[in-house]
Amino acid sequence: MADRVRSLTDVLLSVESISLSFGGVKALTDISFDIKKGEIRAIIGPNGAGKSSLLNCINGFYHPQEGAITYKGQRRSRMRPHEAAEQGIARTFQNIALFRGMSTLDNIMTGRNLAMRTGLFWQALRLGPAEREEIDHRKAVERIIDFLEIQHIRKVPVGQLPYGLQKRVELGRALAAEPELLLLDEPMAGMNLEEKEDMCRFVLDVNDEFGTTICLIEHDMGVVMDISDRLVVLDYGKKIGDGPPEAVKHDKAVIDAYLGVSH
Amino acid sequence: MGFFLEVLIGGLLAGVLYSLVALGFVLIFKASGVFNFAQGAMVLTAALALVRALDVFEQWHWPFAVALLSAFVFAAVIMAIIAWAAERLVLRKLVNQEGIILFMATIGVTFFLEGLSQSLFGADVYPLNVGLPKDPVFLLESLFDGGILVNELDIWAAVIAGLLVAGLALFFQRTRIGRALRAVADDHAAAQSVGIPLNQIWFIVWLVAGLVALVAGTVWGSKLGVQFSLSLLALKALPVLILGGFTSVPGAIIGGLIIGAGEKLAEVFLGPSMGGGIEIWFAYVLALLFLLVRPQGLFGERIIERV
Repeated sequence: MADRVRSLTDVLLSVESISLSFGGVKALTDISFDIKKGEIRAIIGPNGAGKSSLLNCINGFYHPQEGAITYKGQRRSRMRPHEAAEQGIARTFQNIALFRGMSTLDNIMTGRNLAMRTGLFWQALRLGPAEREEIDHRKAVERIIDFLEIQHIRKVPVGQLPYGLQKRVELGRALAAEPELLLLDEPMAGMNLEEKEDMCRFVLDVNDEFGTTICLIEHDMGVVMDISDRLVVLDYGKKIGDGPPEAVKHDKAVIDAYLGVSH
Repeated sequence: MGFFLEVLIGGLLAGVLYSLVALGFVLIFKASGVFNFAQGAMVLTAALALVRALDVFEQWHWPFAVALLSAFVFAAVIMAIIAWAAERLVLRKLVNQEGIILFMATIGVTFFLEGLSQSLFGADVYPLNVGLPKDPVFLLESLFDGGILVNELDIWAAVIAGLLVAGLALFFQRTRIGRALRAVADDHAAAQSVGIPLNQIWFIVWLVAGLVALVAGTVWGSKLGVQFSLSLLALKALPVLILGGFTSVPGAIIGGLIIGAGEKLAEVFLGPSMGGGIEIWFAYVLALLFLLVRPQGLFGERIIERV
């Protein structure tokens, strides 16, 4: 997997010296990095390093007090999460955030929310253009369901599914929006080995087949080193490393942060 | 037997009216997890706006149908303004706060609305006539001696409630916005991440609850006249919600029917042995008993917490 040949040139998203604080607590200090089109970019770091905060800034849940984020060449200011979604940024959450009362199918259908256009009246009656549209979206959703191998749980309310499958449904919902940039917050946390291997395969396939750019947070170093093209390493809200896996692995600051050297 | 049926049917039809009020609560609770105490005040406001506008238009000698339609539009616009203001001025500031804080805020909205609507539209009792027939009719006269006495208005109320529920069911189950509403109810953050704008959804759901309040206000107002006591309907909807579950539209209907029928049957058949007047508190006792057995209500979602 590590020998995938890539030519990554176009910058899709760049973060320019952003700082974020909650009251007096600094969550992120002067972070800069970029994500290139088509790459798998990982964010790693010890607990509380600010990884999720960084993802939340990209996605618009948090607004950094300083610095700027440029996406597809456009500098954005105080973007809200649904606007990020409109521009092609989809995500999953660290603690699964699915619509528990709805079936797998309905959950993934919500991912296509933005693409649906016909009027309310026609939708309610499933007539005319609304029927065709519903069928088109269903087809797209069924493709994702096949892709993620979750045909057998299509009609099951997701609240009843085991953890590993819920994570997969959440990925499905993010994919349904056909995003350009996919943010995954610890997609493999709490999974057993087999589930992790499946999830790795899905992440790589999404990247290969759909050309989706992926930015993921992950704790399992084996996984991260295997699948990502480049890494950002955070510690105490500061960036302490940036580069391809091999380089980061031997970086002294990174080793110190992970093995614990007195600061 | 004929008498029992008459009491039962009378109770069920009264229950439909409770259901109409409870529906508004369920809608807002489902979509935002807020127990909207102001629903009763919204019924009052909607009914007052309707009856006063209708009076004015009739004074201008508009044809009745035109006047009625215009009055409905006027009341609907008022409800839209309230929905907009509630989202903009109250909910938006309190995003991600505890449920109890939002509940307190809606109590504030209640007092504000009660005061505002009465100073805008007046505080008297206004008779409302929207052209619904009010005559008593006798049903099944061939089966029972003397037939069963029913008020036509109650039958119309049941028909209207049925149409309203069917419409809401289609809206929630079939449309994109309906799916978005259910998504917001389950998880705010996840809903935003798939591109659902929270503010817009909250506005829509308050608007729908406002229109349901308008329907409830029209029917209740036709029956009792439009007056301040409409605002207290909120209290009557409480036992209905406890029975039916806070998150279920069919629950609100069934709960209303049970409360309505139970109340009337208890008054007629148990009342005399208990000194009468039990209709007033019977619903609450029923709800209390129900809480002991099935706290999530008949159709509510069972809450299972993983520890």
